[in-house]
Amino acid sequence: MMSILLYVDPGSGSYLIQALVAAVTGFVFFFKNIRMYVRDKFQRLFRKKQS
Amino acid sequence: MQANQLPSSYRDPSGFVFTHKGEIYRQVNKSFQPDFEAFINSGLYDALVAEGLLIPHKTITENLTGGEDWFTTLKPEKIELISYPYEWTFSMLKDAALLTLQLALKALEHGMMLKDATPFNVQLHNGKPVFIDTLSFEKYRDGEPWIAYRQFCENFVGPLALMHYVGLPLQQLLLAHPEGIPLLYVKKLLPYKSRFNLHLFLHVHLHAGVAAKGSANSKKPFLAKSKLVNLLRGLQTLVASLHFNKFENIWGEYYKEAETRPGYLKEKKAIIAAWIEQQPALETVIDIGGNEGEFTKLVANGKRRVICADGEHYAVDHLYKQVRENKLSNIYPLCIDFTNPTPAIGVNNTERSSFFDRASSDLAMALALVHHLAIGKNIPFDFIADMCARLGIYLIIEFVAKEDEKVKVLLQNKKDIYDWYTEEGFENAFSKRFRLVEKRALSSSPRILYLMERL
Repeated sequence: MMSILLYVDPGSGSYLIQALVAAVTGFVFFFKNIRMYVRDKFQRLFRKKQS
Repeated sequence: MQANQLPSSYRDPSGFVFTHKGEIYRQVNKSFQPDFEAFINSGLYDALVAEGLLIPHKTITENLTGGEDWFTTLKPEKIELISYPYEWTFSMLKDAALLTLQLALKALEHGMMLKDATPFNVQLHNGKPVFIDTLSFEKYRDGEPWIAYRQFCENFVGPLALMHYVGLPLQQLLLAHPEGIPLLYVKKLLPYKSRFNLHLFLHVHLHAGVAAKGSANSKKPFLAKSKLVNLLRGLQTLVASLHFNKFENIWGEYYKEAETRPGYLKEKKAIIAAWIEQQPALETVIDIGGNEGEFTKLVANGKRRVICADGEHYAVDHLYKQVRENKLSNIYPLCIDFTNPTPAIGVNNTERSSFFDRASSDLAMALALVHHLAIGKNIPFDFIADMCARLGIYLIIEFVAKEDEKVKVLLQNKKDIYDWYTEEGFENAFSKRFRLVEKRALSSSPRILYLMERL
């Protein structure tokens, strides 16, 4: 088992994972942007009402 | 390997760093010519230098090494002091991480990419971290994942996340793992709750699991540029969210306490300032055990290069933040334990030099330190004198007598086996290494300041 692992390129796993990590991160940023957009809208509305 | 090639510059076939007539140069090899020309012609080099993110260089059209691989020679702006990540505080490593990500994103904007992500490529220069490896940029190939992703996670994310979650200064883990802490180690050392940080879960926990499996013959997967940008932005969000301010600073409060001792700091500063004035040729200083750098700032005075080295992480971090905020361009704060200073490490023990090989200066200062080494750590005066002689041509040192309240505190819970700890014993030991120039007893406490010159 050990001898096989010695010839495995340890970088290869890091290549594979990047697509998955990037996809999840993109998803998170997408919803974060929506949340910020909605919050911004509400804040503006609130400020208008106050003034 | 070329004759004057630096022992740390052997990994990258793109070129290497070497010395010529005492100056530092970087050779670019023929094999790297297309990428190097793209780096310059894309405008990336100019953009990075204009923003102060990359060390500027001059191009020398002379083959100084005589090597057959030579394409061109670069003469980078001089870096006053090379330091290593295991000598940095949390904030220094964090700033280096953010700089590395910023460079990768900037490179992508210019159709290039960063191929290395090691903190050894970042150095403090003119009061801020600067990237020094000009040959780390290569052409971006569409769909290519980030070659330095794992390196970034192991060198930056791992140690920063550990310090954030464990709440202890763990920079010295990088001394044991100078190529980065393996992600499997980081995963095992992090507390369970760290899995609930989504970005950390992705970049460390999940990454460690997949990276450990690896693959013997996998093809590089396609990663769209937009996704690569997301990956880098995700890392930016993660690094920015890591902090290290949980523990109270013990030594960082030192000066606040010292200020309550009437006249002590003021008198000491006046004597030292006068001595420094008498030595106009002093250009470099090391403040041994310099804490938050109160005296470092006094002697630096905007013109001298001063290393402020102390074992207290929090105090050094505090000084580093001041250096950044106030642009104190000639001050270099470093975490050094003088009972165990940084050794030479790496291949043949020459790749990264010892602290003493990098830090020797015109003047060494050891203020309010001798009692901590002699009584706190049982280090004989002769050893302390040797240490000072290796670090400075001139020495300003403070002897703290046994009658001093701080020495009494040190002796409170231990047997007094220090009959050799006397003014006479101190002077005898140091006279073997130094010539006494001036001696001044402080009127405000039982302490004596000495100015000496190395024999």
